[in-house]
Amino acid sequence: METEELKKENETVLDTASEHAAAVEETEPHEKNVRLMSPTQMVLRRFFRSKLSVVGLVMIVSLFLFCWLGPVVYNQWGQGDVDETGKVEYTYSEVTYVDENGETHTFYQVVETGKTVNSLAKPDGDHPLGTDKTGKDVLARLMYGGRVSLAVSFLAVFIITFFGVVFGGIAGYFGGWVDTVIMRICDVLMCLPGFPILLIVGTLIDSFGIKGQYKIYYLMAFLTLISWSGTARLVRGQILSLREQEYMVAAEAMGYSATRKIAKHLIPNVMPQLIVSMSLSLGSMILYEASLSYLGLGAPEKYAAWGTMINIVAEDQNILQNYFNIWGPPGICIILAVLGFNFVGDGLRDALDPKMRR
Amino acid sequence: MDEQLKQSADAPLLEVNHLRKTFPLKKSITGKVLSELVAVEDVSFTLKPGETLGIVGESGCGKTTLGRTILKLYPANGGQILFDGKDITNYTKAQMRPIRTDMQIIFQDPYSSLPPRSTVGDILSEPVLVHGIVPKEEVKAYVMDLMEKCGLRDYYYERYPHEFSGGQRQRICIARALSVQPRLVVCDEPVSALDVSIQAQIINLLKDLQKSMNLSYLFISHDLSVVKFISDKIGVMYLGAMMEFGTKKDIFDNPLHPYTKALFSAIPNPNPDVKMQRIVLKGDIPSPANPPSGCRFHTRCPHATELCKQQKPEYRECEPGHFAACHYAGKA
Amino acid sequence: MALLNKHDKKKNGHYLSGKEIRAIAKENRKVMNALEKKKHRKAAESEFISQMKDDANILEIEDLHTYFFTDQGVVKAVNGVSFEVPKNATVGIVGESGCGKSVTSMSVMRLLQGPQGQIYSGSIRFKAADYQRDEKGNPVVIGTAEDGTAQYATEEKVYDIAEMPIHEIHRIRGRQIAMIFQEPMTSLNPVFTIGEQLDEVTFIHTPGATKEMAKARSLEMLSLVGIAAPERVYASFPHELSGGMRQRVMISMALICNPRLIIADEPTTALDVTIQAQILELLQDLKKKMDGSILLITHDLGVIAEMADYVVVMYAGRVIERGTVSEIFHDPRHPYTIGLQKSKPTMDSDSDTLFNIPGNVPNPVNMPKHCYFKERCSRYTAKCSGDYPGMVQVSPTHYVACHLYDETKQGGDR
Repeated sequence: METEELKKENETVLDTASEHAAAVEETEPHEKNVRLMSPTQMVLRRFFRSKLSVVGLVMIVSLFLFCWLGPVVYNQWGQGDVDETGKVEYTYSEVTYVDENGETHTFYQVVETGKTVNSLAKPDGDHPLGTDKTGKDVLARLMYGGRVSLAVSFLAVFIITFFGVVFGGIAGYFGGWVDTVIMRICDVLMCLPGFPILLIVGTLIDSFGIKGQYKIYYLMAFLTLISWSGTARLVRGQILSLREQEYMVAAEAMGYSATRKIAKHLIPNVMPQLIVSMSLSLGSMILYEASLSYLGLGAPEKYAAWGTMINIVAEDQNILQNYFNIWGPPGICIILAVLGFNFVGDGLRDALDPKMRR
Repeated sequence: MDEQLKQSADAPLLEVNHLRKTFPLKKSITGKVLSELVAVEDVSFTLKPGETLGIVGESGCGKTTLGRTILKLYPANGGQILFDGKDITNYTKAQMRPIRTDMQIIFQDPYSSLPPRSTVGDILSEPVLVHGIVPKEEVKAYVMDLMEKCGLRDYYYERYPHEFSGGQRQRICIARALSVQPRLVVCDEPVSALDVSIQAQIINLLKDLQKSMNLSYLFISHDLSVVKFISDKIGVMYLGAMMEFGTKKDIFDNPLHPYTKALFSAIPNPNPDVKMQRIVLKGDIPSPANPPSGCRFHTRCPHATELCKQQKPEYRECEPGHFAACHYAGKA
Repeated sequence: MALLNKHDKKKNGHYLSGKEIRAIAKENRKVMNALEKKKHRKAAESEFISQMKDDANILEIEDLHTYFFTDQGVVKAVNGVSFEVPKNATVGIVGESGCGKSVTSMSVMRLLQGPQGQIYSGSIRFKAADYQRDEKGNPVVIGTAEDGTAQYATEEKVYDIAEMPIHEIHRIRGRQIAMIFQEPMTSLNPVFTIGEQLDEVTFIHTPGATKEMAKARSLEMLSLVGIAAPERVYASFPHELSGGMRQRVMISMALICNPRLIIADEPTTALDVTIQAQILELLQDLKKKMDGSILLITHDLGVIAEMADYVVVMYAGRVIERGTVSEIFHDPRHPYTIGLQKSKPTMDSDSDTLFNIPGNVPNPVNMPKHCYFKERCSRYTAKCSGDYPGMVQVSPTHYVACHLYDETKQGGDR
């Protein structure tokens, strides 16, 4: 078809339609002055309307600041530094004996019990949260441990989302036997018991001689391999419903390529649900990491992680009973992080839910 | 040259022969279709350039499916679709791509038919860029021009669809469909979701655009009065089959099928003094998955006889150019 | 984030600033909290008992303001609406989407979604026939019916629905005013049979109702709405019925308590033309049989012309014209009413272009001071840029809000 010719035709087009526009001209002043909220503003407004989501956001931001900026400010101790100042401590014991005269003497015997490291110190100026059994500063380890816990969870969530989007997207968009195969794989993955398998994998990793401090990364990477099915199902469902939307039919009628339809029209519209599911699964990933570390599958004691720090109570009743300052703070951090991500996730769901569009 | 043009003007732009479209309801494990829903059965018509064909029918009559099958959004299960002389019935997606610009669609729901996260400018420029309608530098000017033609203000360019009312959104949809300079536009209930005063605006706009761009419309609606206003030819569908087909004059002045007559009298008249003798059809529309035997309409037809229950009426030309599928059509 | 689109960041003045948004939210919260408190207050009956202006009316709405407090500002969905529904009459409210016709009916039923949707001011007076109650609040028994159930004394009371606390609304809702919704697909609960849902209405609103009585009543109502096999429908689930059947069931449900007023909110819009014709015929028929008024809300002028005795035309939250059906259809005064009638394609018109009203309904936030229709009006004068026009009486029953008829008031006022 001659584009030139049509273009020419188009130029003569629609005097009548522009007459419409001319007639509508009157409404312009009022309509143009109406001020609305932009889509971003609406999302933010809905997010900040709920106090819980603000609380969650504050919790998360402060945890991040604590873990990444904390060690910059509080730099006396590193995560592996042992306080070797050692302290001389004394124990007293009462000694009573009867001399020849039959008098009873009581006196105190002082025994010096020296320590080469300052372990199990109570919180004081030097160690705001005390030290642990091996004399490492709890506060410093809390900060460094947070870095590991948060980083590992973020990494895991991103990998899970990547797999989920790819497989869910393929299943939802192409359908047919591809869909069937991917969904059956998802079903199988959902049947796998996570922890027992991770325990086995943990042993395997040991036998391959992988360095202890990277063990948790390998484990979490393995975890992502078996847990993308949830995200994949979400994406698939979302794409199936988006495909029914008329603007997707319009895109089809426009003759857009499959890549364009997926990248420009489907993925951006799946994003809101994805962001929500990502923030919700961050919480569960932190819990996973903590549990793995608690089970002794995490980094060696030298490298801190919140889970590893709690792990100590399993070995020592005395610490559980008497040293809250050692296992309490990492526990609180885990609770804060999980709660925070869940609050933010809920807030985002309300903010991004298209049904709330008003 | 002139003669050629004349000839091409007379040749039908779209020809549909015995089109059939089914949807599987039940499949065996091996993928064999066990039962199916016949959405469109044996529909034939032709559409010339610059003409409007109105398709009227109630929900479940297959009018939307018909429109989408013609655009090859659904694969056809039988029959033939000729567009501009080419048989496109078995074209693949890749083969369809170059002629997508020639045939476009406008939807009923102006809310779900625009992507929510793109600006009006993006929505309208995208097809122009993808199909290279104009050089890249001219795209914005072209889109602005198009927006003006469709009665959209220039400052809408950067706004999002959610800021507009239904009528304005429908104008955006029309602009998007016309941005690739199509020759055939399938209008799938384009005004049903709009208010009366806005309906009139959109219908007038469609008519004006048709004149100036020599468009052909396949105008699908359940509203007879709207169809009457815009169409040259009208087809009445019921449960997937064409009941009656003819020029506007044929259908309105001399309806042959009892269903067409009932449709006419069902429309409420906005005149409180005229109390029409109304033909009220009894019963509900049967399920298209399980249409009645014989004539599809016999369960609700006021004139049904034993013959209608048993024998399927032939879709025949009762008068020149006026078709009907009724045993008694054209016979007194 | 994909949401943070590049266009938002541009300061083009079209979007509200963060400061303005916070100011709107703060103001909204203040007003909403006060109104919510009023809605949930404990009040003596005397606080919401009122008097009818005209005893022939069943419902009088006076200067009703219903607002929605949105993040973008206050939407005055109903902005000073007044009209009345006489006894045994059908009043049709007609208008386009967003004109406030549905919000008016929701206000009467007090079904507005709180805390955003609130009746801001105005009164809705309704003449109810409530059970007479003793000091303890129990209904007074005056005798026993043939089937052994108690009969109760009723008395006429005029309630101001707008002033009623929300927990008192059960005196009105369902029993005195019933509603028929647009979507017959979603207005019935899919997990209960039709019978269970119909019987429930009787149980809730009739003290001491027995199972047999409820069933008899439900079956009676089902056959009243033209269902040929009431026993079968009674035992079936909503999904087993077609759209038209469900709408019949909804109508029978509304009729069970013999309501004094039925609000039908777009009762035929979701139905096919041939089914719409059936339902309209049914409603016509019921109108003659039942002892009560109908408030019919629709956008379809044809439906109004067939059904209504009085017509109220609404535009952008205001009543712009009201009168009897023949006044509105044969002698429309407001340019909008005239335009609306001309722009509907009819079966007998043969013109080439349709008449159309240009432009769109103004955005409901930030309504202008002048007449809302001014910018779409073909007959506007200099006066139209002034204040919003008041209601002018052009005949005993015909009112119009337009500056064109301002003179008529001085001359023709009765």
